[in-house]
Formats: sequence, structure tokens, C-alpha cells
Amino acid sequence: MSMLEEEVSTTLYFDRTFDCEAAKIAPGEYYFTDKDMVIVTVLGSCVSACIRDSKTGIGGMNHFMLPDSAAADKDSPISESMRYGTYAMEVLINQLLRNGARRENLEAKIFGGGNVLKSFTTTNVGDRNAIFVRKYLSAEGIRIIGEDLLDIYPRKVYYFPKTGRVLVKKLKQMHNDTLFKREEIYASKLKTTDVGGAIDLF
Amino acid sequence: MLMEWSMANTNTKFLVVDDFSTMRRIVRNLLKELGYTNVDEAEDGVAALSKLKGGGFEFVVSDWNMPNMDGLTLLQNIRADAELSKLPVLMVTAEAKKENIIAAAQAGANGYVVKPFTAATLDEKLSKIFEKLEKAGA
Repeated sequence: MSMLEEEVSTTLYFDRTFDCEAAKIAPGEYYFTDKDMVIVTVLGSCVSACIRDSKTGIGGMNHFMLPDSAAADKDSPISESMRYGTYAMEVLINQLLRNGARRENLEAKIFGGGNVLKSFTTTNVGDRNAIFVRKYLSAEGIRIIGEDLLDIYPRKVYYFPKTGRVLVKKLKQMHNDTLFKREEIYASKLKTTDVGGAIDLF
Repeated sequence: MLMEWSMANTNTKFLVVDDFSTMRRIVRNLLKELGYTNVDEAEDGVAALSKLKGGGFEFVVSDWNMPNMDGLTLLQNIRADAELSKLPVLMVTAEAKKENIIAAAQAGANGYVVKPFTAATLDEKLSKIFEKLEKAGA
């Protein structure tokens, strides 16, 4: 059975600007660390939650968008959107908790959800993604201590989990359409992949 | 503990165990979609075990990764408890790691579903479990 799994980013490099190790994450990926490094991503209509334990400094970032559920069940708590979004958030938070973070210490900064894709403007994918992350975190009692959401521009986000510092650059001019293409591929993958997994061993 | 299992028994009392309230809500709503409305919730294994010991539950749907007591430990506790040992337990987890699945099977899980699952998947799993229990009881 095909299933779209959230994957740990394996794109690591040394960032000369910040003089530290860096992990770059693409749509559908996440990364977490307890090291003094930077996690980087570029967001269009996708959203990223940067979540860390404020006491220990272990933290991470995800990068996802909600699949486009049928209009009828968009707001249903069991729509494909809700199930996938909840899953994408849980995968990151579970990793933090398993590696020593405590739920009550978690704090989040959230980014993205720009309405950047022309073909998406009718469905306001950015809005839906942004609203989802806000609602999810508040339902789970995780503090949102910073956000830069919506608008029409893509963003480049640098997250330093150790300190919680974030640098956001709004990209008012794009030199190419790589970002848009990547998001469109991700969106169509979400559309054609069954969002649901089952294992039948016993 | 002798019980009558039937696939259409929508009165079956479920306990949904997950540390994420959002996920508990999803599972509760999926069960409702399948006609099961007798559902209670617990936020981790410790809370679940104390509710289960209170009695009356007929089915457990549990997450794996939880603080205080994880799903596997909960399952092991259930199987080791004379009163609860026969209780069907379906594990639902965000991970499809082979070692987890094997550990769940060895600890006596009745089924294993990987998130984000659909109502159809859950239905299929529950039917299969009820069917097996019926056969075993017959």
C-alpha cells in the first residue's frame, strides 16, 4: 500500500554564513536536533512549525501542507486534511518527546502559509495551512511565541533550536520557479497518494 | 470474562489512548463514523490502566509513543492482568518500524495500524479482530 511518510531530512551541510552545521528540509520532511545548528527551509504556501523544549534546547522543524480535501468534508475532524496535518505535527513532536523534551516546556514559532501559488489562490491553500497549525497547537496546549504567516510572499526560514532564534527572509523576488514547482509536485503527490497506512501482519 | 462479540455491536465500549487530544478526537470521530459511540479517552498508559481497572471496557485503541507509560507497556500490563488479559487491543502509531510491529505482536496486540489511517482501514481492522474473537469464542 502506498503511503506518504514524513521523512527525516538527510540534506546536511556546513553553513558559512552562520558558521555551523545546517539541515535543509523540503516539503514533507522534518528535522530535529539537540546540537547547536541551524535548520533551513523555504516556504511558499506550506507551513513550518519550529518547536523546541525551552529548558533543554532540543528542537526541530517540519514542513508540510494539507492535502486538498473534498469541499464537503473540509472542516470535518476526520477529513484527509485533518488526519494528515495531525500526523505531520505528531511525527515531529513525538521525536522531541522521545529524545527528552517535556511537553510542558514546548514552545513553537510558526511560519508560511503564503498564498503564493497562482493556481491555488481560489482554494486559499496558504490560509488553510496557517489556520490548521494555529488551531492544532492551541488544542494541544503548545505555546505559540512567534509567527509570520499568510501574505503573498515565499519565505526563507532559519531556525536555531538551541536558542529558539529564527531569521525570516521574505522573498519578494524569485529568480526561478523551483519553489513553486516543488510545492506543486508535493501537492499533487498528496492528492494522488492514499493518506492512510495499514499493516497487516497479524 | 465471557462476552458476546458481534461485528454489529455498536455498544462496544472503547477506550482511546493517545497523548494528543487532536488525535483522540480523530479516532473518536472515526469510531463514530463506524457507529461506535460508546467511547472514553485517556491521555497516556497510566491513565488508561486506571480507567481499564475501573471495568466495563471492551476494546482498547492505543497510540504507541506517550509519556509516563507508552502503548507497548500498557499492552504488556493489560496482558499480565488477570481481569484485563483478554481485552482486544489495537495499536495505532505514527511509525511503521519493523521492530515496533514485532514487539507489538509479541506482546499480544490484536492489530496494528499506521497513522494517518482512514475510517475504512479502521473498520477493516476492527471487523477482522471481532471476527477472530468470535471464532475463538465459538
